[in-house]
Amino acid sequence: MSGPVLEVRGLRKSFAGVRAVDGAAFSVRAGSITGLIGPNGSGKSTAVDCISGFQRADAGQVLLDGADLRGLTPQRIARRGLTRTFQDVRVYEGYDLLQNLLVVAQPFVGVGWGGELLRSAGYRRARVAAEARARELIELVGLTRLVEAPAAVLSYGQKKLLAFAGAMMSAPRLVVLDEPVAGVNPTRINEVAEIVRRANAGGTAFLIIEHNVEFITGLCEHVVVLDRGAKLAEGPPHQVHQDPRVLEAYLGVEAVA
Amino acid sequence: MNLDTTYLTELLLNGLMVGLLYALVAAGLALVFGVLHIINFAHGELMMIGGFVMALVLPALGLSYWPSLAVAALATALAGVVLYELFLSRLGPREFERSILVTLGISMVLLYGAQYWFSATPRIVDTQYGFEGLEIGDIRMTWTRVIGGGVAVLAFGGLYATLRWTQFGRAMRAIAQNREAAAMVGIPQHRVARHAVALAAGLCGLAGGALAPIQLVQPAMGQAVIFKAFALVVIGGLGNIPGAVFAAIALGMIESWVGGFFDIVWQETSVFLIMIVAVILRPDGLFQRGGLRVG
Amino acid sequence: MRLALPVALVLLVALPWLTASTYIMGIAVSGVLMTVAAAALNLVYGFAGLLSFAAIGFWGVGAYCAAITVMDWGGSFWSGVALAGLVNGVLALAIGVPMLRTRRHAFVVVSITFALLCALVSRDWTAVTRGPMGIPGLPAPSAFGYVFAGSARFWFVALGFSVLALALLHALGTSRIGLVLKAIKQNEPLAQSQGISPLPYKLLAFVVGAVVTGMAGGVMAFHLGVVDPLIFDFYYMQTFLIIVIIGGAGSFWGVLAAGLAMVVLPEALRASNDLRMVIYGGVLVVAMLAMPRGVAGWLEDRRVAVLRAKLR
Repeated sequence: MSGPVLEVRGLRKSFAGVRAVDGAAFSVRAGSITGLIGPNGSGKSTAVDCISGFQRADAGQVLLDGADLRGLTPQRIARRGLTRTFQDVRVYEGYDLLQNLLVVAQPFVGVGWGGELLRSAGYRRARVAAEARARELIELVGLTRLVEAPAAVLSYGQKKLLAFAGAMMSAPRLVVLDEPVAGVNPTRINEVAEIVRRANAGGTAFLIIEHNVEFITGLCEHVVVLDRGAKLAEGPPHQVHQDPRVLEAYLGVEAVA
Repeated sequence: MNLDTTYLTELLLNGLMVGLLYALVAAGLALVFGVLHIINFAHGELMMIGGFVMALVLPALGLSYWPSLAVAALATALAGVVLYELFLSRLGPREFERSILVTLGISMVLLYGAQYWFSATPRIVDTQYGFEGLEIGDIRMTWTRVIGGGVAVLAFGGLYATLRWTQFGRAMRAIAQNREAAAMVGIPQHRVARHAVALAAGLCGLAGGALAPIQLVQPAMGQAVIFKAFALVVIGGLGNIPGAVFAAIALGMIESWVGGFFDIVWQETSVFLIMIVAVILRPDGLFQRGGLRVG
Repeated sequence: MRLALPVALVLLVALPWLTASTYIMGIAVSGVLMTVAAAALNLVYGFAGLLSFAAIGFWGVGAYCAAITVMDWGGSFWSGVALAGLVNGVLALAIGVPMLRTRRHAFVVVSITFALLCALVSRDWTAVTRGPMGIPGLPAPSAFGYVFAGSARFWFVALGFSVLALALLHALGTSRIGLVLKAIKQNEPLAQSQGISPLPYKLLAFVVGAVVTGMAGGVMAFHLGVVDPLIFDFYYMQTFLIIVIIGGAGSFWGVLAAGLAMVVLPEALRASNDLRMVIYGGVLVVAMLAMPRGVAGWLEDRRVAVLRAKLR
């Protein structure tokens, strides 16, 4: 198949002298579902923030389809085809589900403020297409019956699904999911995996950060393990989970003793 | 243009006195911001309360300056406690816009309430010192100005000592530096915050009381000062007390110097222009940002 | 409900025939103009989330621009108001870019200092503004030979301007621009992750708000018949803010209703100006503590609570 959609090389980021990410390097194959795991404090979230432009890396390269993302704002990176969800689930609480998805910029690129204000023909076309796409995604995540409800009434798990739909709205090349099933009702986790699989079938690649081993093992073809800000191991999930270095990093002193 | 040294020195000293009293207000504002993360719009009205208490108490106490000033400071501190208990204690540290609107409402009630009760007419406040002054060579300053500056310096000494060496001062600094950590080690946040507001209000009352005989007492006297103090606190670096004090003294001197050299009318305009440029160029303040700093 | 708007509009147009009192017409004129300024502030604070005290500066600058155009440059009222909008747009663009790059604390402070600076310039730049005495004797505007003299006739100018300005603000608020603005206010990082650049949107709201506020101030000057530094009185700013907060920041119709109520009610109660401001201040405190999102926000919260109960 094709090469990597995302390539991270020698990524470094320190906060007040503490190295959160220390030379991390890994890649995500186009169209794949890749897991990014590691113990708490291993630098996963900081790495995601650097990749998506919310933090500026001290050193290293992030390439999306071979193009360097260094110095770009999060919105520029999103428009290039890399979107993300947030660990602390974020939706527009005051908007209904459809409005939540219509905020996304991509379908309206090129319309301009004048067109939006005067509801030009171009705007109306974009709006029809965007609404169709939004309804499709809401159906994909199974929230169709709530489409006109304000997001504030959704449960925690439903908000995560809405956030997922928001990240998918621009038909991106790669979506980074930051803990998609943490705090989600265990009986629903398989549903989430199925939704990701179906979205992946459309060609979008996923980089998933998650602590839930079952979820990662069942979904990912490739897993990258971070420890203390650097890559510790990578490979197919079952292989990674048997790697003694990984066990030690997760279980710490106990495993050694 | 008149450049003789007597005139220059008088300007400098006048600017210093006014700057010191601005600085008391700004220091209180910085203190409240450091501990509560609130910009208190009603702070100027606390100063106005101090001025009015001074104006009302002085005749009753036979024009004696010091007891009246003490009453003004204490009454204003008490008003600060009421302000905290009724309103400020209900605001969270992240609700910046909300805190501005609530305290703006309080300031409106106090300002227009004072206008309703006392009318907007300015009052002249007379003290035992009258217009007598201190003369050193050719330089002459009224006693009320000299004492006002002295009171401010003493108050700063007291504030510094309180923040530096008392249990209460350490607790305030701890909260300003790290709210969560302070809560974990068992610092009673509400009590400390209440004391901080009382202390800041007391400083305001002192400033208002000391300004009463120097300037005129009127309901809008606080509004004129608060905006400057607000900007000073940001220029000095939010929560940075020496920064705010330094900026205030500098402002007082710039005002009097510019007023002395140039057309008097451009005095305040130039100061505000400097402020806008300063804040835009250095949004975190001219001095380092951080917790509640005392030195 | 569908009839409410046309009926209200007909009643407003007919107002001069419903009352013979010039006093009431005067209140009505300043009432609609202040409601327009409040609706503009609603775009800036309610939609874009920017607590800007610069509005009072734009209001006064607009008043001076319109007055100077007519008195010193021989222009008409109409060109004066247009110039007021233009000057404020340029001014807002010039200060908006650096202001929006600062943190929110500094933003508020700069907006306040800007407003005060405007007031001081109006007092001190006597060559242009004529200083504390102001510019008196502004003539009534005229069009096609008809002179809008007196509050009852000026009412049509004020109402016409207000309807146009409010229509613009409504179109903006209900467009995708309004949707994105409120999204940025609700969660800025989320909007960024969805490809939205916050700065241009905030700047747009700030500039449009300044243009509308400035033009309203320009019309107000000719209602008052005189412009002096009192046009920068903080009292106006406080009134605009109260209207926005009570109506509910971000709610167009809420702010409109609150604007009319806040101007009409105290007049009906015959309160003195000072007492009225005491009441406003008290209302602001209670509203911010009890229902921080205004009447409209409070109603929305009730709706969400009911829906949530239904879904469980």
